[in-house]
Amino acid sequence: MPPADSSTTAATEARAAHAVVLDRITVRYGDARRGRRGRAPVTAVSDVSLTLDRGEFVVLVGPSGCGKTTLLRIVAGFERPAEGTATTHGEAPTPGRGTGVVFQQPRLFPWRTVGGNLAFALARHGVPRDARAARTAELLSQVGLSGMEHRRTWELSGGQQQRVAIARALAGEPELLLLDEPFAALDALTREHLQEEVRTLASRTGTTVLFVTHSAEEAILLGSRVLVMAAGPGRIVEEIAVPLPREPTTDVAALRGTAEFARLRGELAASLRNTATS
Amino acid sequence: MSTAAPADPELAPVASSTASGSSEEVPPLKADPATSKPRNRNPLRFAALRWTALRLVALAVLLGAWQLVVVLEVWPRVLVPSPGEVWHQFILASTVHDGVRGYGDHLLIEHLAVSLRRIGIGVGYAVVFGVPLGVAIGAVRPVAVVLEPAVTFLRTLPPLAYLSLLVIWFGIDESPKIWLLVIAAMPPIAASTAAAVRGVPGDLVEAAKALGAGRLPLLGGVVLPSALPEILTGIRIAVGVAYTSVVAAETINGVPGIGGMIRDAQRYNQTSVVIVGIIAIGLSGIVLDALMKALERVLVPWRGRA
Ligand SMILES: Nc1ncnc2c1ncn2[C@@H]1O[C@H](COP(=O)(O)OP(=O)(O)OP(=O)(O)O)[C@@H](O)[C@H]1O
Ligand SMILES: [Mg+2]
Repeated sequence: MPPADSSTTAATEARAAHAVVLDRITVRYGDARRGRRGRAPVTAVSDVSLTLDRGEFVVLVGPSGCGKTTLLRIVAGFERPAEGTATTHGEAPTPGRGTGVVFQQPRLFPWRTVGGNLAFALARHGVPRDARAARTAELLSQVGLSGMEHRRTWELSGGQQQRVAIARALAGEPELLLLDEPFAALDALTREHLQEEVRTLASRTGTTVLFVTHSAEEAILLGSRVLVMAAGPGRIVEEIAVPLPREPTTDVAALRGTAEFARLRGELAASLRNTATS
Repeated sequence: MSTAAPADPELAPVASSTASGSSEEVPPLKADPATSKPRNRNPLRFAALRWTALRLVALAVLLGAWQLVVVLEVWPRVLVPSPGEVWHQFILASTVHDGVRGYGDHLLIEHLAVSLRRIGIGVGYAVVFGVPLGVAIGAVRPVAVVLEPAVTFLRTLPPLAYLSLLVIWFGIDESPKIWLLVIAAMPPIAASTAAAVRGVPGDLVEAAKALGAGRLPLLGGVVLPSALPEILTGIRIAVGVAYTSVVAAETINGVPGIGGMIRDAQRYNQTSVVIVGIIAIGLSGIVLDALMKALERVLVPWRGRA
């Protein structure tokens, strides 16, 4: 890089050091410029700044409609902010470049089997054909669906479909993983199992995770940092650090029983109640 | 417009329920413990039998009414032959008798086969060109602006209108007939493909992009498979259109061919032969439509479930 513009270079490098940087972004839907004439644009998110270090596990919580999905879509590269800048690993977010996304709905391809859905993702990430079967089996066992390769996606329960979606997002071994209320449709036992699985996976692989949820319990258990959002317009109103152990060997299930966990969960729940009523 | 006679939606349940005994037509079973146990061992099959029986009864009533009209001589015999005469004509057309081979030197089945072959080739070309055309129209705006009105234009034309032009250009052999069928069959395929491509769920496109799919994997992995059910419906409609057009295509030098056969018979006032031809077209149309539906079930088992 030419040394002439060293300040910009420094800024770029500073950004590249982070997994995600949102710098004072505002997102509007139904913008006049995008051809939706006659409708006032909706400001979904206003003036939000957010930085995720590599390997961080950040959770977004907040009431329905406060812009959680919108922020995720910006980071995934599906929307561009009207104001401000967004980068992932120092570049403008582009779908499919090292970022895995689990949407609020499973979004599986019904014309492919469960294994076929995973194979599609593996093929996109250059996994050779003969290695795909083994990797598919591995991914499925990770989400507790071993042996389901040949099942049709519509034959699965909602929770099973969502687990396939998670496995599919993990197929490319993304550096950055975005999850939008992935466990909302699951039964309590499966949810707990997957929470532990995701937390351990993140600490083991060093994957950066941005995770959206409605549940204070889930937020505290998973996040190293929890951001509380408020609606009208969407913004971040509070940040809670979660100083629970995050080793790959941490017994996540046991964490649920600790006094520290209960205290943090109570704190977050109170904060969520405040945002909802204010 | 009556473009899709054999593939007419009204025929659809007829064709499908014989094939599968589809369950939605089964009336609620009366709970009658005394009688229901032995009879309802396989309620689906039983219901299917019952509907087949109803169909046979309807057919018998129709034939009876027809015979009655003939016996009462409501119309002259030349105009309305009896079922027996038509059956006799059917036997004559299907066999070699006194050294004469079927009708016009060809057996009925050969006439039908030639027409079906033309339909097959015409629809085949229509698929080969219509699907990519539809994808282009559905996905590329400038292409849609230019070609979509052209497709609609062709779709509204009755085949007889351009037959003359095709005869001037291509003579009276095989090629104008194939051309006519291609022109008739392509617009419905292109139109439904375009609609399907436009209707590809944005959710799934996003999911594929999030997995790193570029243009080609997106086309082959998401757009085409998600459009497939509608493309198949388009092809089924196109087969119907080709069926109705084949008689037009065979009005000139159409023997062998079921349309040519009908045409010749009309010229000599052989009403029974015309009726035999019509029934042959209609019945083969029902069979073909049922086959296409079976194909759809095999190729798009997810239809209506996602
Ligand atoms: N495509 C869109 N067009 C117009 N407005 C939108 C669109 N998507 C979201 N919005 C609006 O933006 C705001 C934020 O929506 P968003 O989906 O980000 O909320 P959320 O926090 O994810 O809610 P939930 O918890 O219910 O999923 C809402 O007011 C919503 O109505
Ligand atoms: Mg949401």
